Amino acid sequence: MEINEMLFLAIALTTVLSALIVALSKKIIYSAFALLLTLIGFAGLFIYLSADFLSMAQIMIYVGGILILILFGVLMTQRIYDPSQITAHNSIWVSLAGGIAMAAITGAVVWLNPWGKTLAKDFEYSTSRIGSELLTKYLLPFEVISVLLLAVLIGAVYLGRSREVHK
Amino acid sequence: MNNLESLQFFIPELFLTAGLLVTIIVELLLKKEQKVFTAYLAATVLLITIFFLIRQYAIEPAALFGGMVVIDPMAVFFKILTAVSTLIIVFFSIPSFRVKAEYYVLLLATTLGMMLMAQVNDLLMIILAMELVGLVSYVLAGYRRSDPKSGEASLKYILFGAASTGIMAFGFSYIYGLTGQTNLFEIQQALQSTQHNPVILFVAFVLIIAGLGYKIAMVPFHFWLPDVYEGAPTPVTAFFSVGPKAAGMAVLIRFIISIVAGVSADGQTFTANAPIHAQELLAVLAVLTMTLGNLSALQQKNIKRMMAYSSIAHAGYMLMALAVFTSQSVEAVMFYLVVYMFMNFGAFWVIHRMTPHLGSEEITAYTGLGYRAPLVAVAMGVFMFSLTGLPPLAGFIGKFYLFAAVIKAEWYILAVLGVLNSVVSLYYYAYVTKVMFLNRGDDESAVSISSYDTALLLVFLIPTLVLGVYWVPVISWATQSLHFFLG
Repeated sequence: MEINEMLFLAIALTTVLSALIVALSKKIIYSAFALLLTLIGFAGLFIYLSADFLSMAQIMIYVGGILILILFGVLMTQRIYDPSQITAHNSIWVSLAGGIAMAAITGAVVWLNPWGKTLAKDFEYSTSRIGSELLTKYLLPFEVISVLLLAVLIGAVYLGRSREVHK
Repeated sequence: MNNLESLQFFIPELFLTAGLLVTIIVELLLKKEQKVFTAYLAATVLLITIFFLIRQYAIEPAALFGGMVVIDPMAVFFKILTAVSTLIIVFFSIPSFRVKAEYYVLLLATTLGMMLMAQVNDLLMIILAMELVGLVSYVLAGYRRSDPKSGEASLKYILFGAASTGIMAFGFSYIYGLTGQTNLFEIQQALQSTQHNPVILFVAFVLIIAGLGYKIAMVPFHFWLPDVYEGAPTPVTAFFSVGPKAAGMAVLIRFIISIVAGVSADGQTFTANAPIHAQELLAVLAVLTMTLGNLSALQQKNIKRMMAYSSIAHAGYMLMALAVFTSQSVEAVMFYLVVYMFMNFGAFWVIHRMTPHLGSEEITAYTGLGYRAPLVAVAMGVFMFSLTGLPPLAGFIGKFYLFAAVIKAEWYILAVLGVLNSVVSLYYYAYVTKVMFLNRGDDESAVSISSYDTALLLVFLIPTLVLGVYWVPVISWATQSLHFFLG
């Protein structure tokens, strides 16, 4: 086995195992920390798909931003260690049936179609291409996102600010 | 067409965005008691946008921004429809949101999203436009921060919305993996030129329908709707019931004419790209949607919840017509949306203005309203019978076209099930009218109605009555707009 494949297996295994902890752990704080490993694992998988920019964005946004936010949320919740506050789980059999059905469907889809084969070409940096495509081919989506973020910002400020003080 | 050349065909959207930014800045300069001015500013912006939109009918169908969006009469039709519905909602909201300038900014942002939804031609743009509408809608649903029900509505909306968008994006990823394209017409060509395994296409279709179906409240993706409609402030509920739904229908039509089926050059015949039984699936979902909507509406005590289930049922009628894939059915859906806008807004306007007087949203609170506020009660009766689809009201003509399209395509069982559903719906719509006129309540004092309320009521009442006897202009508008850009 080449070192390449071993590394891939290690990353894939870490991702799946930590994802299991996220789903099955009874304490929400363990779930939150296991999520860290899952997200880093995803970043590693993106590198194997030659998506270097996506992988860095994954680490910066999900690991650096969203996960920290989740951790803050978890830590600021009172009585987090209270044994009566364990996270609720649905019936294991229902979840298992749903998961197996989903796995069967996606498995069938993967199996039935000759998806594009891996291209035998050298790794090239995608960042500069993403940059120029964003301002040429994908200009409209790029600008729509800016309006979307503005609107969402206004909405978030409205919902988040404290009640107006009556003079 | 490249980005720079496309700008001249994008004037309404650019103007709307500029108007949105100006509204934000003007709001900062106003004192609190002057802030109602932002509502009038938003209305003016929308009015000018509609004027620009009407002029777009002269433009030849084309793809803009390198195929991200298209401009064709169908897009213009839906853009005008959604802009008009938002314009009405601005006036609808002025009595209750006088000093809330952000509210009007958010309405304008949603309108921009709905206008983009009407003309999307790329998987990426579908997600972005739907999220622009969706994310702002979550805020609007929770706009009454002091009301826990409003917060609950917002939370339920965001959880369902996020899940369904994720599922839809997953479906898109299959389509992208199969064809290597995100442009809808390039996907169509790729699907027509190569044979793909129908199972994969079917799975992708189901996943995508989950996302689109959530937007138009199709069963089984409707769970959010009753709670959101009940919890959101009534003007917002009215807004959700027409504009975003029409935009969702527009995306569904685009999806059907590009990925699911190919349309001949004259726009008359639809041929499926792959044997995935999309029509049968849509027909089954349509029957489920209207049946569940109507049967659940029967049991509702709260009038806003009843209207929520009624809106699910109406989505079912429109889906029923779309399932047959003919140009006639698309035309019927377009006509129905215009009619639905007036009668549904009318019903919500009565609910909105009467709730403070009646003190409750229960249907029983409307007991004897016919003697306390005759004009309002008569109007409500007209809206209810129009929603049922009784002649000579606008709703009857709308339903007539829907059923005619289904029967002409020889889907008789579907049409029969639709008619049976209409009969069921008569019970709960007529029940509201019955308590208003045949029963007398304890409180018989007259309800005073301001002239503003009456004026807006007439704006909804007159089209509902007139379109029932003279609907030619609207149906010919829909026929003229039935012209797609086809790659």
